Amino acid sequence: MIHVISSVNRHLYEDVLEQHFRVRHEIFVEERKWEALRKPDGREVDTYDNEDAVYLLALENRRVLGGSRLYPTTKPTMMSEVFPHLAAVRGCPSNPLVWEWSRFFVTRERRDGAFNWQLMAGAQEFCLDQGIERLCLVMETWWLPRFHEIGFVVTPLGLPAMIENSWTMAATIEVRQESLDAVCDRIGMTKVLQQDGPRIDCVARANLCGLAAQRKSA
Amino acid sequence: MSTVDYGREALDFIEGLGAYTKVPDAMDALATAFGRYGFEHIIVTGLPNPDQRFSQMVLAKKWPAEWFSLYTQKGYDRVDPVIRKCRQTVNPFEWSEAPYDPDQEPGAVEVMRRAADFRMSRGFVVPIHGLTGYEAGVSLGGVHLDLNARSKPALHLIGMYGFDHIRRLLEPAPDRSMRLTPREREALAWASQGKSAWEIGEILHITQRTAEEHLATAARKLGAVNRTHAVAIAIRHRIITP
Repeated sequence: MIHVISSVNRHLYEDVLEQHFRVRHEIFVEERKWEALRKPDGREVDTYDNEDAVYLLALENRRVLGGSRLYPTTKPTMMSEVFPHLAAVRGCPSNPLVWEWSRFFVTRERRDGAFNWQLMAGAQEFCLDQGIERLCLVMETWWLPRFHEIGFVVTPLGLPAMIENSWTMAATIEVRQESLDAVCDRIGMTKVLQQDGPRIDCVARANLCGLAAQRKSA
Repeated sequence: MSTVDYGREALDFIEGLGAYTKVPDAMDALATAFGRYGFEHIIVTGLPNPDQRFSQMVLAKKWPAEWFSLYTQKGYDRVDPVIRKCRQTVNPFEWSEAPYDPDQEPGAVEVMRRAADFRMSRGFVVPIHGLTGYEAGVSLGGVHLDLNARSKPALHLIGMYGFDHIRRLLEPAPDRSMRLTPREREALAWASQGKSAWEIGEILHITQRTAEEHLATAARKLGAVNRTHAVAIAIRHRIITP
């Protein structure tokens, strides 16, 4: 199952989160060679790994097999701060109902199509449940046909550009019941999320982040 | 045009693609869009495995008829260096970037030379790789091309969206009757584990009668003759996982 981990229930998952930072380093730095993310302690942690991040982690007996991260766009995001040129045509979203989706990974042992789809289903299921309308993301462009294949509605925000030797683009993905149904049909599951402990209210949280940003700029 | 102009034009086109509900209309629109970059010929195609024929893999094309029949008759897809490179990369590329050895591969020399006879002396390919391993591509050909660092990202994106739109238009509408409810699917999944209707009832906290009804409806929707047949069909269509 895919576990939802946020600041309100992370006390149940400290060991898992710690493991997940190491897995991320293993995959993004050691394997995919994103050298900018290299850390001496072998934990891939960035500015957006803070109290407003929500992690969707696929666990098997508390072992991290894959996952992704969600982050409110009412705060500065990776897209708006690091890759704004990728969204040059339509602009970076900033909206409590749009969350940034990043750090999608699958450990080497689980790189089959069905497992990827489970993680995609997890994001759709979570957002539907939370009332999030769209995800925005920076992705390698070869992901686009994969999202298309599963029936996700993906809208580009700009043209692809070469980043770290990969064509990379910014886009939004619609959160839709049909998209979730389509991917669940493929994997033969009706539900992929497990939510233990207190639950976060993402839209309220994003609104709060937006208010704080307003106050700062005032 | 500046990068942003290329971008705006491409994104506007992509957002308007949904309006074309027939393959020929969508292809006309794509031909116009790619035509602005100087391309005269388009093919949207899957890449054939050794046991598949190229002509069966083509989704849509605007190729000179004579060139298509020559290409298929001569089996050029087996020697075309562009197809070979399309399998090996996720990055778009110019035809001239598809390597071959002119001394060892006379077929490759021939296909590239003959293409030029049909006003396809240069070209650009957007490879498509699906999650379940399907391989496809959109290949564009012409003579006087606006092909540069600013136009290529626009062509890349239009190619990918063009492919997806054509693919979806060609797909038969999903058969609603095949859609099982979550309960029907669950019941079927337990049946595939050898559970009886009584056991399934116990597991799902429903009566045996309801479990039987779920299984019967699932079987009817799948066009199965009995429960075992329904399980087999459901596994084959990946409605449940074995």
